[in-house]
Amino acid sequence: MERLVVEADGKVVIPPEVIHRRGLRPGDELSLVEAAEGLLVYQGGVDAETAAWLAGLSEEERRLAEAEARRYEDLSEEDKDAIWSEGEESIETDAEGDEIELPTR
Amino acid sequence: MSFRPDSVLLDKGVVRRIYEARVRAALGAPPTPLQSEAANVYALLRARGLQPCITEQTAHILERRPPVFAAALLNQTLTLRKARYLRRWARRLRDFVFSPEDAVIIAYGSFGLDLQTGQVGVEAVITNDNHMAINYRTRYAEINERFEAMVNGLTEPYHELKLPHIVTATEALAAL
Repeated sequence: MERLVVEADGKVVIPPEVIHRRGLRPGDELSLVEAAEGLLVYQGGVDAETAAWLAGLSEEERRLAEAEARRYEDLSEEDKDAIWSEGEESIETDAEGDEIELPTR
Repeated sequence: MSFRPDSVLLDKGVVRRIYEARVRAALGAPPTPLQSEAANVYALLRARGLQPCITEQTAHILERRPPVFAAALLNQTLTLRKARYLRRWARRLRDFVFSPEDAVIIAYGSFGLDLQTGQVGVEAVITNDNHMAINYRTRYAEINERFEAMVNGLTEPYHELKLPHIVTATEALAAL
């Protein structure tokens, strides 16, 4: 974690080593989020893992991803919620048949 | 806050935001703050060499999504199975006003089984659900007492199990 100091004109200077580590360049956008925990600064654009995933796609996969992404983004929030609620796990006793007994050491 | 866990379970909501960050990236659109938060947590965990865990339900959802988005996430995560007594503990957690879904994810934190390594439970569950995290922390002493009472009444491997930390994605990002 880095400590930042707010200057008289409201500017905040990000330490050079952080700029280097995060690959930030002049003009890059950062998001400032007011959360319950305080102010959080997010690097704009895409994180390293998402960027690596995107870069690893072939041209055909990129076209497929774009088409699938459009389909997903066209869904309503209710439809997206339904997708992510599929197969909710029962906590009732009669569902316990798939639980695995741990071996005794 | 110190947060250097060796094992982490991502709840379904966090995985959803990571997935959706990729959907937006495929369209050349920036992620929303929630998506960015989840994706950055994931990236930081991976950069630390951690293989995050997911539940069986999350794995099943991803298996039904287009592989171009879901395959990498499935390959990079470990799917925990349910060890015996997971549901029993989840039912007891309901007494602390957790929803069934919250109770299951917390119970996975103690009774989620990685079949590859034999490891049971994780050190931390990362969630987007602030209400669940706050309720867990507020009532932690009671929950722990109930947990100890349950596992101490079980046979040998079970009474070594622990409760996980419940950490919001925001907290994880600030602490990693």
